[in-house]
Amino acid sequence: MSNGEQPQVFEVAQLYEGVTELLESGFGPRQPFWVRGEIVSLNDRTHAYIDIVDTAKVPERGGKLATLKGHCWKTKYEGLKRSLRDEGFTLAPGMVVNFFGHLDLYTPTGSLGFNILNVDVQSLMGDAAKRRELLLAALGAEGLLEKNKLLPFPTMPLKVGLVASKGTEGYNDFLNQLTGSGMAFLVTHVQTTVQGDAAPAEIVRAIRAVDDEDVDVIVVIRGGGSKGDLACFDDESVARTIAHSRHPVLTGIGHTGDTSIADLVAHQQFITPSALGTFLADTARTLYENRVTRPAEKLQRYATALLDEAANYTGERRRTVVLAVRDRLRSEQMNLTHVRGTLTSASKYLVESAGRSLTATRALLAAYDPQRRLAQGWAIVSAADGSIIRSVATVAAGETITVRVADGSFHTVVQER
Amino acid sequence: MSTDIGPWNDAVAELDAIVASFDDGEVTVDDLTTKLQRATAIIEALETRLTATQISVEELLPRVAKGSSDA
Repeated sequence: MSNGEQPQVFEVAQLYEGVTELLESGFGPRQPFWVRGEIVSLNDRTHAYIDIVDTAKVPERGGKLATLKGHCWKTKYEGLKRSLRDEGFTLAPGMVVNFFGHLDLYTPTGSLGFNILNVDVQSLMGDAAKRRELLLAALGAEGLLEKNKLLPFPTMPLKVGLVASKGTEGYNDFLNQLTGSGMAFLVTHVQTTVQGDAAPAEIVRAIRAVDDEDVDVIVVIRGGGSKGDLACFDDESVARTIAHSRHPVLTGIGHTGDTSIADLVAHQQFITPSALGTFLADTARTLYENRVTRPAEKLQRYATALLDEAANYTGERRRTVVLAVRDRLRSEQMNLTHVRGTLTSASKYLVESAGRSLTATRALLAAYDPQRRLAQGWAIVSAADGSIIRSVATVAAGETITVRVADGSFHTVVQER
Repeated sequence: MSTDIGPWNDAVAELDAIVASFDDGEVTVDDLTTKLQRATAIIEALETRLTATQISVEELLPRVAKGSSDA
C-alpha cells in the first residue's frame, strides 16, 4: 500500500472467508489444540460461556489481559461437567485450566471464540494435589493436623453430635450400628448437605452447632461417592473447623481408600460410617462391660457369698440360741428344785434334831428329879430356916428339923449327935 | 404379793447363802423360820420369774427355730 497501489477491498463475508482460511492454514481446519488460561467468568445456565485470560503474561501498566471467549455447547458441557464432578472438580472463576478445543469464528457477530471440547483433568488433578499439599503443609505448620487429636477421648462416648445428611445410606448405616448396640446413645443430629458447592459452608455450620451442644464426640459421616462428591471434605474451612472443635471429631467419609483432609485433621478417621458406628458401639459396650457389668457381677458374687455366710451364721446362732435357752431354763429349774429339796430336808433335819436334843435333855433332867429319889426312900432334911442340911455338923441336939419323903414331910427333934 | 428379790443373780446368790448356812449348821431354831421364809419367798419369786420367762421363750423359740429350718 505504500507503493501507491490501491488497497484491496473485501466484502465482509469475503473477509471472514479469508480469515477462516488463514486460521485453518495456521491451526488446521477445526483442528483442536490446547489452550491454558484462567477462568475469569463462567455462565452455564444453558450452554457454558467461559471467559479465559492469559495469566502467564501480565500486561503493561494500563493494559488489559488477553481474553479468549470460550464456549461449550450444552450437549458437550453436560457430560464434561459430570466427568469433572466425578473427579472432584467444578469449573469456577479463578481456576487455571487446560482447555481442549478449536477456534471458531462466528461471522454473524464477528467474534472469534474457542469451542471447548474437553478439559485436561490430569492437570486439574495435579493442581488439586498441589493445592492439597499446600493446604496440608499450612495446617501442619499451624499444628492443626494434631490439634483435635490432642483432645482427650471421652471414656464413655454416648452423647454423639452427628453431622450428616439425614436419610442417606451412610446416615442409616451409622445409626443402625448405634441402635443395634443396645447402648443408650444420645444422638444430636444437625442436618447438612454433604456434596456440592454449598456443602463446605453447611458442614462448617453443622459442626459448630453440635460443638456448642453437650456432646462427647462429634461425628462427621458421608457414604461413598465420587471424588467430586467428597470434595467438600477437602475444603479448608471444613478442615479448620474440625481442628478447632472443642470435642473430638470422628470422621467416616466415603469408603475404603478415600482419605480427605477432614479425615487427616480429625481425632480419628474410619473407612465408612458403618465402621465408625461399630467403633463407638464397641467402645461403649466394652467400657460398659468393664466398668459396670463385670464389677456388678463381681459385686453380686461377693454379696451372695456374704449373704450365704451370714445366713449360715444366723441359722447356726438360731439353733444355738434355742438349745442354750432351753438348757438354761432347765438348769435354773433344776437348781430351784434342788434348793427346795435342800431347804426342806435341812429344815426338817434342823427341827427334828432340835426336838431330839430336847427329848434327850428332858430324859437327862428326869434322871435328876428329886421326887424319884424320894420315891426310892431318900429324904431331904432341912433346918428350921429351910436350908438343906448336908452335914451333921450343922445341927445341934434339941433342934427341930424337917424331913421330906416321897409322899410328904414331917418334923422331928435331934436328940443327940 | 410379789417379793422384791432384785436381779436374778443377786437373788440366786442370797438363796445360795441361805442354803450354805443350813449346810454349815449356822442356822439356829430362832433363825430357822425367818431364813426359811426368806428362802421360800426367793424361790417362789424366782419360779414366778422363770415361768414368765419360759412362756416368753416358748413364744419366741418357734420364731428362732423357724428361721433355722428355713435356712
